[in-house]
Formats: sequence, structure tokens, C-alpha cells
Amino acid sequence: MAADQSGKIVRHHLIDRLYHWLMAIAVFILLGTAFLPIVGIKFQWIDIHWMTGVFLTLIVLVHIVRALFWQDWRSMLVTPSDIRDIASGARETLTGGAEAPKPAKYNGLQKFYHLAVALLLIAIIITGLLMMLKIDTPFWRRSPYWFTNYWWGIIYAFHGLAAMAMITMIIIHVYFASRPEEWYLTRSMFRGWITRKEYESHHDTGRWKP
Amino acid sequence: MELFRYSRSIYTRQTELIGASWDLLPWFAAAGVAFVLVHAVIMLLARRRKS
Repeated sequence: MAADQSGKIVRHHLIDRLYHWLMAIAVFILLGTAFLPIVGIKFQWIDIHWMTGVFLTLIVLVHIVRALFWQDWRSMLVTPSDIRDIASGARETLTGGAEAPKPAKYNGLQKFYHLAVALLLIAIIITGLLMMLKIDTPFWRRSPYWFTNYWWGIIYAFHGLAAMAMITMIIIHVYFASRPEEWYLTRSMFRGWITRKEYESHHDTGRWKP
Repeated sequence: MELFRYSRSIYTRQTELIGASWDLLPWFAAAGVAFVLVHAVIMLLARRRKS
């Protein structure tokens, strides 16, 4: 068990916390460089945008490899029991029904959130990398003839829609991170661990054995 | 409000899709804020019922 004598339960290793915060910084830079010029704050945004996009692509690749080979990627898969637990949680909240089961490391809503953000990021990264064909970089000269105008329009539309949807997801993420009942998770994204008391009161210790 | 941005090709004179409409930007932000407000109200009511 990843717990020391003081009862600290490791929830996020340093490399995972670094990934989370670097991704957050990169996403904020990307959204700022994408949308500030659109709302009227004009500046030279293209270079910092594509460089940050390449950086985000690289750390997402590192995260995927780490998740597949060094972490328990199954702990983030949405399962039928997660859907039952979400329904139980909704019943408990809305009607005062029986207490919903405690989750393993991640609850069903967190898994759905991760899935949604993962799909959006994949869409943004793939379309973003394709869009880089239209700009000069130190690595290649622009070559906009890979696709017809019809396909470029679709690529740009997907990139824009997924980027705007990220704003919705970030608002929701920051909201949940700031709710008092979630502070123990927010703290763990800074210091890496939760207390044994938090572990036992918020999680099914039979389903999550750190 | 447009969902997409279009331009007219100078060669074919046809209308071509060039991307998502930026008119949607405030709507995506508003969707996040609306989710937050609805959830916060539901949780507040649930807590009052329990106490």
C-alpha cells in the first residue's frame, strides 16, 4: 500500500501532478492565444500557439504511455457499476434516498469527465497538428495543399468547436475543485496525498487499494 | 447566430466552410456557468433537506 507511517495515502505521484499542472498551463495559454484575439485583444499569437500545442501533444503522449504501462488505466474506465452508482448518487441527492456506494479511486462522474476531456483533447491535437501544415515552422515549410478547401473547413470547424467546448469543461472542473467536499482531492493535486481518514470516508477501501 | 463561418471562393464562387462560428464562444461559456449554477442550487437544496 502506498501509505507511509503517518497515514498519508498517495493519490497522485509527482510526475502525475506535474503533468496535470503543465497541461493546465498549456491549455490556458492555448485558449488565451486562440480566443483573446477573437474578442479584440490583438497580438502575435500564432507562434506561441503552435509551440504550446506541440508541447501539449508531447505531454499528452507521455501521459498515455505512462497510463498504459505504469498506471492502472482500468481505474479510469467507465463501467456499468459506475452508471449504477451515478444513478444512486443522483437519487440520494434529489430524493434523499439510500446513501450511494462509495467509489474506488475515481467516481463515475470523474471518469466521464476524463473521457470527455480526453476526446476533446484528441480532436484538438489531431486537427491542430494538421493545421500546422498551413504555417511555416523551423521543421517544415507550409504546404496547404494536403487537403481541399472542403476538408480544411471541416478540420478548422472541429478544432474550433472542441476548443470552445474545453472552456465549458474547464469551468465545470474549476467549480468542482473549489467545492468544499472536493477540497481533499484538490489538495492532493498539490501535495500528492490524502489522509487515511479521507481515504476511508470518501472511498470504498475494498475497491481502491493504493 | 451562425454555427459555422463561411466564405465565398473567388474561383468557383461557391460558399465554403472555413470553421466554427465564434458567435458560439459565449454560449459555451454560458453552458459551463449554467451547469455550475444548477448543480450548486441542487446541492444547496439537498443539504437543507438533510439538515
